[in-house]
Amino acid sequence: MVEHFINALSYPPIQRAAMACVLCGASCSLLSVFIVLMKMPLIGVSMSHAAFAGAVLGMLLNFNPFLTGFILCLLVAAVLGPFSDRTEMAPENMLGILFSFLMGLAFLGMGILTRTKANALNLMWGSLLSLSSSDIVLLTIITSVLFLFIFFFFKEIRSVLFNRKLAASSGVPERLIYYALLFLTGGVVSSNLATVGGLLIFALLVQPGATALQLTYNLKHFFLISVASGIGACVLGLILSYIFDLPSGASVVLMATTLFAAAYIFSPKRRWAKLKKRNISHENDTR
Amino acid sequence: MNKTILQLNDITVRKAKNLLLDRISLSVSPNEFVGIIGPNGAGKTTLLNVIAGFERFEGALSLFGQRETWMRSRETRLRVAYVPQLFQIDPAFPIFALEAVMTGAIGRLGLFRSPGRREREKAMRLMEMMRVAHLSHRPLGQLSGGERQKVSLARAILQEPDILLMDEPTANLDVAVQKEVLNLINEIHKREPLTLLFVTHDFNMLPAAMRRAVLMNHGKIVFDGDIATALSGEMLSRLFQYPLETFERNGRRFVSYG
Repeated sequence: MVEHFINALSYPPIQRAAMACVLCGASCSLLSVFIVLMKMPLIGVSMSHAAFAGAVLGMLLNFNPFLTGFILCLLVAAVLGPFSDRTEMAPENMLGILFSFLMGLAFLGMGILTRTKANALNLMWGSLLSLSSSDIVLLTIITSVLFLFIFFFFKEIRSVLFNRKLAASSGVPERLIYYALLFLTGGVVSSNLATVGGLLIFALLVQPGATALQLTYNLKHFFLISVASGIGACVLGLILSYIFDLPSGASVVLMATTLFAAAYIFSPKRRWAKLKKRNISHENDTR
Repeated sequence: MNKTILQLNDITVRKAKNLLLDRISLSVSPNEFVGIIGPNGAGKTTLLNVIAGFERFEGALSLFGQRETWMRSRETRLRVAYVPQLFQIDPAFPIFALEAVMTGAIGRLGLFRSPGRREREKAMRLMEMMRVAHLSHRPLGQLSGGERQKVSLARAILQEPDILLMDEPTANLDVAVQKEVLNLINEIHKREPLTLLFVTHDFNMLPAAMRRAVLMNHGKIVFDGDIATALSGEMLSRLFQYPLETFERNGRRFVSYG
């Protein structure tokens, strides 16, 4: 069966699907570090729905759906940054409102779409086997930009992830880092709409980072574990979907959840924390 | 002539319909140690946020002789460090105590330059001064509240500022740890050429080196003068609108809350 899969890799659509899996896993898992450590999973949800709503809008207006998805994501990022800095409202509430508004917009668009809804539904679940070379090029560019951003601004990123207010007070351009991150989230989400879709991408924006959180205190290792788990979930999910004839998006997400569950169960950090707690209570008992 | 490092004239902050600061004027000289003291909701933290550049405001503010708005240049931000109240951090958060201290050097280094041996050695020296050098390789989230506040002080000093703003740095700590942190703040004042602004609502937990008190209530400054005069029963009773008595022990004045 595995041999069959390796043979299938000689076909260009399967090659593109495999390539997209690696790029999607890498880009989403790099972002998931920020989403998990800044405790803003709703940013991922809002962005994925913005991309989805934008793409449906593109279909309605006969524009390239991925371009319109990307533009709406960038617009949301442009509004979200300054608005969350200035408004009195808690960012979680604001994101919740934005998310439901964008979801309403997407479903409204789907409701009034006169032609077949299959393409729009593909944007929800993704369609790995129908990816074009330009989709792969776009994914490669976005993933590379994100990687370079993290590589060159690692120390500023560490400072912003630790505490935005303290980063600002110590002369770190925290707004620049935060807004760049929002724009990159828009770029990653919209370029991955075709691979795993607007609904399932959310799992890849949270689970790799949540997996790494169980395993390390070192931020560099955190990024590496997150990327390994993101790519692992995508590639293993694709292989399993091919072997057992399962929907690819669903098997990728379930694989990501399995990796997270394994990391949680075998988490050395949890074990240390338990041990520390036990030692403290033992010390108190013997006093 | 005594130069002014910080000058505030008629600073007002409004949020929705609330007046958080009402025409505050204040002048601070280099190397002064000023306590900003008042009950909850007096506007102390808002005032500190205005000085730090976190809050929009009306009025005129000058730092180091330059007129400033809430938007600050990197150079100005570098010269004003900030120590917040003890804040929650996820025990699993991936940052070690030494790395947290070294975030204080990042702004000064600027983009595309990594912290090197000099920054690491200085960070370790400061951690020694704060008595937390032995915790340098421990995850920050696993340190106690007092240890985290000492790390926070070391991070702020590593920034090499001219002004250090401290927003209730001893709040939510055990009494013994509060005293320890206060002693360290006194030591910072003695060793570093810094202007210190210390916000608190607790009159019995003031650093001994503090000489000047600015008492605030309802967004206004109600007293600005030496600490001994500020800590009089009459003054404090008026400020808190609650009968308070003060007494002296070992040359220091304490407040009895009745």
